[in-house]
Amino acid sequence: MTSSVLTRDLRGGYVRGVDVLGGVDFEVSPGEIAAVLGPNGGGKTTLFRALLGELPFRTGEVVLAGRPAYVPQTEGARLDFPVSAHDVALMGSYGRTPWFRRVAKEDRARAEAALERVGLTDRAHARFGTLSGGQRQRVLIARALVQDSPVLLLDEPLSGVDRTSAAQIERVFAGLRAEGRALLVATHDVAQARAWPRVLCLNHGQVAFGAPEETLSTDVLRRTYGDEIVILDGSGQAVTVSHHHHDH
Amino acid sequence: MPDLAAPYIQRGIAEILLLAVLAGVLGTWVVLRRLPFYTHAIGTATFPGLVVAGPWGVPAQLTALVCALGFGGVLERVQRTRRLDPDAAIGLLLVAALAIGVVLASDVYHSGAGVDRLLFGSLIALSPSDLWLTAAAAVGALLCDAALRRSWLASGFDPDGARAGGVRVAAADRVLLLAVAVAVVVSLDAVGALLVTVILTVPAATVRLFEPPLRVQQLATFALTAVEGLAAIWIADGFNVGPGPAMAVLGALVYGLAAVLAPRGRLVPA
Repeated sequence: MTSSVLTRDLRGGYVRGVDVLGGVDFEVSPGEIAAVLGPNGGGKTTLFRALLGELPFRTGEVVLAGRPAYVPQTEGARLDFPVSAHDVALMGSYGRTPWFRRVAKEDRARAEAALERVGLTDRAHARFGTLSGGQRQRVLIARALVQDSPVLLLDEPLSGVDRTSAAQIERVFAGLRAEGRALLVATHDVAQARAWPRVLCLNHGQVAFGAPEETLSTDVLRRTYGDEIVILDGSGQAVTVSHHHHDH
Repeated sequence: MPDLAAPYIQRGIAEILLLAVLAGVLGTWVVLRRLPFYTHAIGTATFPGLVVAGPWGVPAQLTALVCALGFGGVLERVQRTRRLDPDAAIGLLLVAALAIGVVLASDVYHSGAGVDRLLFGSLIALSPSDLWLTAAAAVGALLCDAALRRSWLASGFDPDGARAGGVRVAAADRVLLLAVAVAVVVSLDAVGALLVTVILTVPAATVRLFEPPLRVQQLATFALTAVEGLAAIWIADGFNVGPGPAMAVLGALVYGLAAVLAPRGRLVPA
């Protein structure tokens, strides 16, 4: 099966000669979801920037099934902007709409369908800034859905969201996988990563990649998180001491 | 009541209506995209150009535009190095431009009382060519807004998401900064180098207190700028004061009143 995402010895950073991201080698197939696990500043967002072609200095090989859709952390979005949930979802079509054309009717319909898919039809005309954190996250996911990409990169979409939103987001993930799309989801949550078929552990470079049951050993988690990890005796469960900062 | 048949009053009224178009279209983006300080700095940066225009015998708008674009170019270069906070870079360049202008005006060209006009402009001392330039800038602003409002909206809302979604954020933002620089230059005759924000920031900031949708915000800013400008002409003519400063005081008073009346707590800071 052809990969949706494939990297070979991917390295790079924001300053020449200083790699934030060490050698990264992994492969995600259509319909797969991979957790990108790592501490703050471990390189999760940097990996996404490298896959988006936005990292100023990058070496190695990247093969993608198409231009990825990116769901950044909600903190990056302006809450005081005069845009509704529908306006934001529609932004997913801006990249393919020439400046001299109006947004196509099909794209308007896609934006409505995307909001319905994330369970926000009734909030479509609400100001983005008046929505709850979880609802905002779902709107940003709707924007990515409108892009209609075979690969989605999601930067901590489940961090700090309410239970309703988390359940809705998980349902959307399942639907996207069923459509054959590949998802890379940055997360701090080790338990969450265990629930998905692939996990990529990063700490300034690749620590491990594979199925979680084979990959998430105590040693790998210690190398991934360093002092941020607490291994609970007996259960073998790991808990991260997470700080909700935007990492690079 | 001003003599509406007087050509200088008619030109002042036409100019303020054209400037109101710039305020409505671009002023709204200046406020939404957090560019008031940049706008003020661009205005100040034109001061040396205005001072040398007369002695050199070249159009003031041309030297002002050169200074504005030069300022914008140097600012972008300084900011790209990431060794200086953007606001600090603007502050630094603003002070340098003002100092160069003052030295040129007082010690090189001995501009004397003409400096007042350069710094504060006059809505009731305009030539027909000033009007044509402002009209051209207004048409240009409307075209830019029609072509790029989606890009400006997406990149202002979430630049990372917009860039990843294929929006040409850097190019769109450069056009916005250029359009603001041109708007500043054509505003100079009316309000001078130091008061351009009276046109391009204060009315839009006043309207924004009520958080209307974008198009309503642009229309309301147009209307408010026009009303404030016409009132300033009336005050200037009746009380023999500069129309630029009159509009500044009026704009500040209206903003204060709006701040009291606007609903509180709805706007969530970014």
